[in-house]
This record gives sequence, structure tokens and C-alpha cells, in this order.
Amino acid sequence: MSIFEYNGSALVAMVGKNCFAIASDRRLGVQLQTIATDFRRIYKIHDKLYIGLSGLATDAQTLYQRLVFRHKLYQLREERDMKPETFASLVSALLYEKRFGPYFCQPVIAGLGDDNKPFICTMDSIGAKELAKDFVVAGTASESLYGACESMYKPDMEPEELFETISQALLASVDRDCLSGWGGHVLLVTPTEVQEKALKGRMD
Amino acid sequence: MKLDTSGLETFVPPSRGLNVLPSDFTASPAFDLPGCTDFDGFQKNAVQMVKPAKGTTTLAFIFKEGVIVAADSRASMGGYISSQTVKKIIEINPYMIGTMAGGAADCQFWHRNLGIKCRLHELANKRRISVTGASKLLANILYSYRGMGLSVGTMIAGWDETGPGLYYVDSEGGRLKGKRFSVGSGSPYAYAVLDSGYRFDLSIEEAAELARRAIYHATFRDGASGGVASVYYVGPDGWKKLSGDDVGELHYKYYPVVTSSVEQEMAEAPVA
Amino acid sequence: MGDSQYSFSLTTFSPSGKLVQIEHALMAVGAGQTSLGIKAANGVVIATEKKLPSILVDESSIQKIQLMTPNIGVVYSGMGPDSRVLVRKSRKQAQQYYRLYKEAIPVTQLVRETATVMQEFTQSGGVRPFGVSLLVAGFDDSGPQLYQVDPSGSYFSWKASAMGKNVSNAKTFLEKRYTEDMELDDAVHTAILTLKEGFEGQISGKNIEIGLIGTDRKFRVLSPAEIDDYLAEVE
Repeated sequence: MSIFEYNGSALVAMVGKNCFAIASDRRLGVQLQTIATDFRRIYKIHDKLYIGLSGLATDAQTLYQRLVFRHKLYQLREERDMKPETFASLVSALLYEKRFGPYFCQPVIAGLGDDNKPFICTMDSIGAKELAKDFVVAGTASESLYGACESMYKPDMEPEELFETISQALLASVDRDCLSGWGGHVLLVTPTEVQEKALKGRMD
Repeated sequence: MKLDTSGLETFVPPSRGLNVLPSDFTASPAFDLPGCTDFDGFQKNAVQMVKPAKGTTTLAFIFKEGVIVAADSRASMGGYISSQTVKKIIEINPYMIGTMAGGAADCQFWHRNLGIKCRLHELANKRRISVTGASKLLANILYSYRGMGLSVGTMIAGWDETGPGLYYVDSEGGRLKGKRFSVGSGSPYAYAVLDSGYRFDLSIEEAAELARRAIYHATFRDGASGGVASVYYVGPDGWKKLSGDDVGELHYKYYPVVTSSVEQEMAEAPVA
Repeated sequence: MGDSQYSFSLTTFSPSGKLVQIEHALMAVGAGQTSLGIKAANGVVIATEKKLPSILVDESSIQKIQLMTPNIGVVYSGMGPDSRVLVRKSRKQAQQYYRLYKEAIPVTQLVRETATVMQEFTQSGGVRPFGVSLLVAGFDDSGPQLYQVDPSGSYFSWKASAMGKNVSNAKTFLEKRYTEDMELDDAVHTAILTLKEGFEGQISGKNIEIGLIGTDRKFRVLSPAEIDDYLAEVE
């Protein structure tokens, strides 16, 4: 079994009209054994920038700590928050630094840019960026998520509909994956507010 | 003409054959060797018993009223859930059922094959085959294919002339008689619940609930188990399906959400 | 002995709290050719004298105003070779920033990095301070910007500044002529007029240099012909 699948994860981010949503499952497992059902994989960088880290949980946490460190230094030095694009480049550079001993994580980055333009992107564990206009997925349920998002996604959704869509896509996808699920987290980010919701899901 | 079935009964101790181990086995605080003549064989069987069969939780136990058999309904291919509605309890004949763990095709095929053999036995002998006999038929077949890659971990449960019967049979050739078994990747979790809640004098309802809870807890902890928790009961009148509960709903029945499960957190984002 | 007692090592303070090597470096700047910069409402201009030691030197082979990034230019007063080192380090710094963030380095960041290098050369062993002051002109998301960086590593943002031989006259002139709402073209004119003050000999497109950046955020060094056109406008 791949080390990326050791803990199990499901991550998805979607773009709506002047907003975005990022969602993950809540499971932390050791292979097939479920250890916790209140685990977090989505981290806040600043009010309008979030990163989800799928893959090996220990690496996700370490990488997150390094990213927070780098972002705080940036904030102090430049007296501003990072743009999502800039942050994505930083993550990419940090991942490639460990080209021959990578963090076993596949990040999903979602944020609102200067003009509140939504930005989403994902990359592999060594930093190859993949930008998307609609949605990005990662984790052990990624294949199911691709299918769900491909069929459920519509461009320019309003926040309410976006929340419904991303939640349904996540819950439907993790029901086809042994290693993720056990509930979900959804973050809905608009220019004026951030809503965080916990999803009730199948607990098997 | 009456057939001499004493040969079949030699394996059955007079006390309805419910005790595998001598009565003093549990009484002793020391870690004694199992009280059996063939220690090597016992050890081999014990190893077979804990050998993991992937992606399933099945269990069965004998109690006062008969046998309870329960299973989940998930089928997985690696991490992918290929079905949530698999029938893992296979009805061999109206008095006997088998459980399915390991390779789905192997289990299904050989259980059907066993069904045929049991029916032929019934036609030839004008009486139903004993659970002992049926399980031995299956075990012998599986043993003949040993090392050729079959993957079967099954329990044969039924009611015959000697009363309730329960055997564990696997593709490595193991065949164990017992009161309580669980097979599959979720079996450690099921055993935990089963062992802590089991009593011989449970009522049918209590026994069914114990089995359901054991399957539920296994599906909660085990990624490869899930779907529906089916519970069967085998009594003097044959088997009967008692329940089939979606585990997704069972969780919230066992653990109702006290406060709202929707945690909401509002944060003002500064207007750029 | 006086100062010389404390000048054998640049990392040694004099009793009056001075690092005399830095003061010497500032003297080198003060003896250098005059440079100046003006921040306009829609851009920045920097200009400098380009007096050559002999009429035999091919003036077209020398460029005192250089680009650090496509949107940041720099000019120096003082020792030319020292400025080259700084420009090389700054360009590398800018590229490293770009490689990390895939985003052009902001002017403030590059100026700070450059100033950091200059400061390090006032505190490290085996080195001497840079004998130059820099005027950095750039245009980024924060608008047009003009910075002056000194050998000590200190830096300030200016509306208009001058340095080199004619610094006091030039600054006085700029103080008189500077207005907040100045357009880039006016700024170029003012720059030329400021240079013209105290310019020894006839000013021409060949003995001054002008670099400017406007809202297109592309720093550009004017050709002698373009400078001549501006000179004609000023006359």
C-alpha cells in the first residue's frame, strides 16, 4: 500500500461566483483502522487563503508548520498577506526542495486574490503545479471525487449552491472509498465572510 | 432400514457438543498448553484462525436458542468500495447458512457447490446432512485445492439432529468447531464487542442486538467493512433473517447527535 | 594620528562613536559625479552626469544607469566598480525572489536586500564598505518609488534626491522646483535643469544619462538622441 494512502484522505476545492469552497473528510486512520473521526486537513493561511494537505498526516502537519512559518516571515517583511498564486509558488518551491525525499502530501490551495478573484490549484508531492478554473481534488478518494465533481459542477455558482454541491460531491465520493469519510469539513469563503461547517456522514 | 449415523456422532460429545475445550481450561490461571492430543495441529489451526481475511466482518455464535449469524455488506477492491450491498450470508439450505470472507468468487462458488452436495446427500439418505458433515465436505474440498490460491474464510452454521452447529472453515484447510467466531478484517473489533457481551443464555432479541452492535462497531473502526449489518438466526425451524440495518443510520441510532452536529463558525474577513 | 588610529579596522568604533571607514566611503560618494532622481505622479526619473576622464574614451560603451529588474533601475555616485558588485548581487537577489514566488520583487524588498548587503560590508572582516550611494527607481503595485541607499546600509524613500559632487546645490534646486503633482515629462525637464546647474561645460546627450519608468512599469534608459530631444525642449 502506498504511503500516500496510509492515513486516508479526501480533499476537494471548487470555484463559485466570487467565492470558493474547500472541503475534506474527517478521518484519520492507520491503513484500514480508523483512529479518529475529527481530524483536520484544511489549514488557514490567512482570512482568504486555505491549504488542504492530503496524504501522510505527519508530513501534512509538518509541512503546514513550515508554511505558516514562511508566511509569517513574509507578512513581517512585506507588510502584506500572500496572494494565493504567490503562496502556491512558495509551496511548490518548498516541496521541490525535498525532491529526493519528498513530503508525502498532495496539497490543494484555494484562496481569494487581490480583486477577490477565486484561485484554486493542486500539485503533486514534489511541487508540480496544476491550476484549474473549476475544481481540484486530492487524496485516496480523488478518483471518485473527479467523477462526482465532473458531473455535479456548474460554473458561477452562488455560495449557497456551491456549498451544497461540494458537500454532496464529497459525501458521495467518500462513500466509495474505504480510507476516507466519517463526516466532512466544508469551508465556504466569500469576499466578506468565511463559513465553516461540519458535515454529518456515514460512519463506516 | 435405518442408517447408522454413529460415525458422524463420534465427534459430538454427549453434552450437545458445545464445549471445544475441557472445562478446567479456563479455570486454570496458568498458561497451560491446550488440552488436545494434537498440539501441532491445534497451533496450526489457531494460526489459521487469526489469518486476516480482507475487507469483511462476519460473525456467528451459538447460544441457548440456536445460532446467530451476522455480517456487513461491503465489497472492496483495494481502497475502492465496489459494493455496499453484498450478500455475505449465503443460504445453503433452509437449515444451514454460510458466511463469506476472502475471495467473493471462491466463497460463492464453493458454497453453491456445497449446497449441491448437501442436497444430494439429502436425496441419497432421506435426511438432512449434519452441520458437522457439511462443514467437513467443504473443508475437504478446500484442502484438496490447498496452495492453489483459493481464498475462503467461512463459518457454516445450522441446525441438525444434534441441535445447533457452528464450524469455521478456511481455504488453508482449517476446520474448527466452536461456539463463537468472527472472520474478516473487522473481526478483532467484532470479537471485542462479542466477547464482552456474550452469555449463553441470551434471548434471541438480545443475541441479535449483540451481533448487530458487534458488526456496527467493526464497520466503524474497519475501513473495509460497512454497508448493511444483516443478522440471521438459525433455530430448530431453520434460519430466518432477523434484520438488515444500514450502518449509516445505525450509527446515529446508537449515538444520536446531542447538540447540533453542524458546528458553525463565522469570521469576518477584512474587505480588501 | 587622529582618525587613522581607528581606521585600521573598519569594524572598530572611534571614541566619538563613528566608524570612520564609512565616513571615508561617504567622502568617496561626495567626490563622485552628480546623480539625482525625481519621483513624479506617474513615474520616476533618475539622471547622472557622465564625465569621462578623456575625450578618447568611447562614451557609447559606458552606461551608468542599469536595470536590476525590468521595472527597477539604479544609478550610482562614487566608485563605478563597487556599484557593479552591488548590481550583480541585487539582480541575483531579484531572480531568487522571482524563482521562489513567481512574482516580481517589490521595490522595497530589493532595496532592503541591497541595503543589507551594504550593511554587511560595514561589519564583516576583511572587507571595506562600498564607495557608492545608489538611487533606485522602480514602479510596482505600490506605485512609483525612489530610494537612496548609502554605504552604511541606511536607505530612505525620497520624492527627489541628489548625491555626488554637486549634492547641496542640486538638492536646493530640487527643493525649489519639486511639486507633488509633477508629471513624468516635467520631472525629466527638472532633472535636466538640475544637472545643468553646476554642470561644467556644455551639457549634451552624450555626457549625461537619463533613465525613467512610467505606468508601463518598464524601466528604460534614454538614448543620447532622446536626451537631445529633451534638451531641446528645455532650452
